[in-house]
Amino acid sequence: MDAVVMKQIVKQYPLVTAVDHADFCVEKGEIHSLLGENGAGKSTLMKILYGMTRPDEGEIWINGTKQAVKDPYHAIQLGIGMVHQHFMLAQVMTVTENIVVGSEPVKGIRFDYKTAVKKVGEMIDQYGFHISPTAKVSDLSVGEQQRVEILKALYRGADILILDEPTAVLTPQEVGELFRVMQKLKSEGKSIVIITHKLKETMEIADRISVLRDGRMVKQGLSLEGLGTSDLAKLMVGRDVDLAIVRENTGIGEACLKISDLTLLDRNQKKVLDHINITVHKGEIYGIAGIEGNGQTELIETLTGLRKPEEGSITKGKETIDGDAKHFLRNGVGHIPEDRMTRGLIMDMSIEENIILGYHQNSRFSDKGLLKIKDIQAYSEKMSDTYKIKSSGTKALVRSLSGGNQQKVVIARVFSEDPDIIIVAQPTRGVDVGAMEYIHNKLLDLRDEGKAILLISADLDEVRCLSDRIGVIYDGKIEKEFRAGQASETELGLWMTGGGRGEEGKQVET
Amino acid sequence: MDFLHSLDSILVSTIVMSIPLVFAAVGGVFSVRSGIMALGLESMMMVGAFFGVAGSYFFHNAWIGFLCGMAGGMLIGILHGLLSVRYKVNQVISGIGLNLLALAATTLLMQLLWNNRGNSPQVASVQTTAGFLLGIPMVGPILGKLSVNAYIMALMVLVSWFALFKTRFGLRLRMVGENPKAAATMGIRVHKIKYIAVLICGMLAGFGGAFLSLNHMDMFVRDMTAGRGYIAVAVAILSRYNPAGVIVCALLFGFCDALQIYFQGGAVPTQLIQMLPYLVTLLVLTIGVKHIKAPEGVGKYDDE
Repeated sequence: MDAVVMKQIVKQYPLVTAVDHADFCVEKGEIHSLLGENGAGKSTLMKILYGMTRPDEGEIWINGTKQAVKDPYHAIQLGIGMVHQHFMLAQVMTVTENIVVGSEPVKGIRFDYKTAVKKVGEMIDQYGFHISPTAKVSDLSVGEQQRVEILKALYRGADILILDEPTAVLTPQEVGELFRVMQKLKSEGKSIVIITHKLKETMEIADRISVLRDGRMVKQGLSLEGLGTSDLAKLMVGRDVDLAIVRENTGIGEACLKISDLTLLDRNQKKVLDHINITVHKGEIYGIAGIEGNGQTELIETLTGLRKPEEGSITKGKETIDGDAKHFLRNGVGHIPEDRMTRGLIMDMSIEENIILGYHQNSRFSDKGLLKIKDIQAYSEKMSDTYKIKSSGTKALVRSLSGGNQQKVVIARVFSEDPDIIIVAQPTRGVDVGAMEYIHNKLLDLRDEGKAILLISADLDEVRCLSDRIGVIYDGKIEKEFRAGQASETELGLWMTGGGRGEEGKQVET
Repeated sequence: MDFLHSLDSILVSTIVMSIPLVFAAVGGVFSVRSGIMALGLESMMMVGAFFGVAGSYFFHNAWIGFLCGMAGGMLIGILHGLLSVRYKVNQVISGIGLNLLALAATTLLMQLLWNNRGNSPQVASVQTTAGFLLGIPMVGPILGKLSVNAYIMALMVLVSWFALFKTRFGLRLRMVGENPKAAATMGIRVHKIKYIAVLICGMLAGFGGAFLSLNHMDMFVRDMTAGRGYIAVAVAILSRYNPAGVIVCALLFGFCDALQIYFQGGAVPTQLIQMLPYLVTLLVLTIGVKHIKAPEGVGKYDDE
């Protein structure tokens, strides 16, 4: 019997049809991957299943019974659990409190915390999760918090689990751990839907796939046998996509960006950057791999003039660059910020305004303090063309664009100013496969033009695929440097978690 | 001997002055813990003080006055709840708006009821002290001089602490305050809990207000709370949103109030002395509050 059957689901939003007559079916005891680009309707379809929104048309059958899922609580009662991409946890409360709230054991009028801890502890042991039931959630790692989320669903007896982009925030080791848990759940007869756009992971874990494109289900319940990642990408995008663009480096030039002994303290006088030394040459992409929160943000901020380092220097060729962000921009340091929503764009301004941001004092865009509206408009139209920014026009608010198109606005702004050095952070975060291919190609073009590019990304595949050299950052230090192709994913993962040193020591011993 | 005597009276008045603060601040704790800012405490206290006197005036019984005071506070509480839960008004604006409304409304009602905008007539008040405790050696003289309300307060704090940290209701309320969306998906009725929290808040702050008008005095005067609601907000924060902590913090402010009264008529100009409680509030807020985090879900909604 099928655990979930969704028939002819339609969900209409004011301007778009998010889900358009989609059928979806999950068998009992399978891992089913729901693929699709951003905005293809994956999340909407699953929100409908979980009762977070109501469909305009269509039927939902759970374990053979037709159901109108009213709200998440109803979904939980039907045995459906969802692990959201942004965890739904109370940080200051304990693991147990987070898990049992809503269906707590009680003793008289008291909340029976002891029994709750015992129950949760038993579940933790059952799945081999290695977390303390009395730990505060804020003290747990991201991977551990995700396990708390999974336990929340299991505690309520979920036998259909929806995981929304579960690997987006995990290290390779944690991903392996998660997959092990998923297999165990599957062996217990639970059905799992995993929403993702990571194709490699789909190949690794899923039994069957369904693919959404522009709200329509283009493939439903396809077995993975005989398929490769490029086939999946083609299904998602609707055309051939080059997933791992490999382009021979034509020649690395002289040293261009030189970072020497860069040290930065945080508010509590703790070193967040600890004597960082990196040299990036002309025509080279230097990738920084690391788990978020190990100093990447601070490194970006110091390299773009947003923060002043305590020690160390940044030089371009022979000149030292210091001063404020404006000074860095003027000196040919381009910056693609890691979070386009807060640092890259002003969401409630138009494409035109955003595309000249930071360069607005340039004589091409303003004269004696007055903006040259017509020139800016013409320029924006040209850029929209060149960078294939899809919008309703250059006066459209950036907020109304998809993630990929927003990112293209940032990229258009930075690349077209012809900087010599580009600090690129998370260039394809939340961007779909099509736009990703485009952005990667652009970066390689710039490299071939002889720019020095520093790439900081949480996406290991991206770092490995584009970089000529890779530095692993851990706890504010560059722990290890690799040449392209030298480092395996597991090896990088090990260094990223600070385990590289120990392993190396062990290898020496044996 | 003279000093000892005055110490004695300062202690008693410290406790008496801190009682309304404790009630209002514990109310604030419930509200903030459920994710709703408690800037409206001032209005709940003021309306509580007014309704307390009005109740006592019409029923000639101070205890019925207290009940009316609580009802008055709850009225503002439910208003604050409607504004911030149902209509998603910015909670700072809602709180301050209600404070202004309360000042104006009580003044107007005084004019309508008693034809006097400055103060109400004298009404039956509570002067019951726990006289039977006077016989206890050493502490007897202090304990015995306290109003029974001090003992009601202690009980209220105990019950509140238990409810917040030891019961299922408390766990759910705290979860709602930390992460309303998470709570909603766990089947918790977020809105219901928030309304209960603002009602408890209004009830307690209303009682605190009624204590001002029916225990400190026996009448209502214009702007009777004089910023005590704001001080209660500071107390709630400083206590780290814990009823047990509220007592300690409120005593600090009560002590300032008591000193202020004690020194009145001395060599220092009254106006300067009267600044003391507010000055301490300012200091505490600038120095003490830095590392205290409000629940993460304050001002957030479960349904957007």
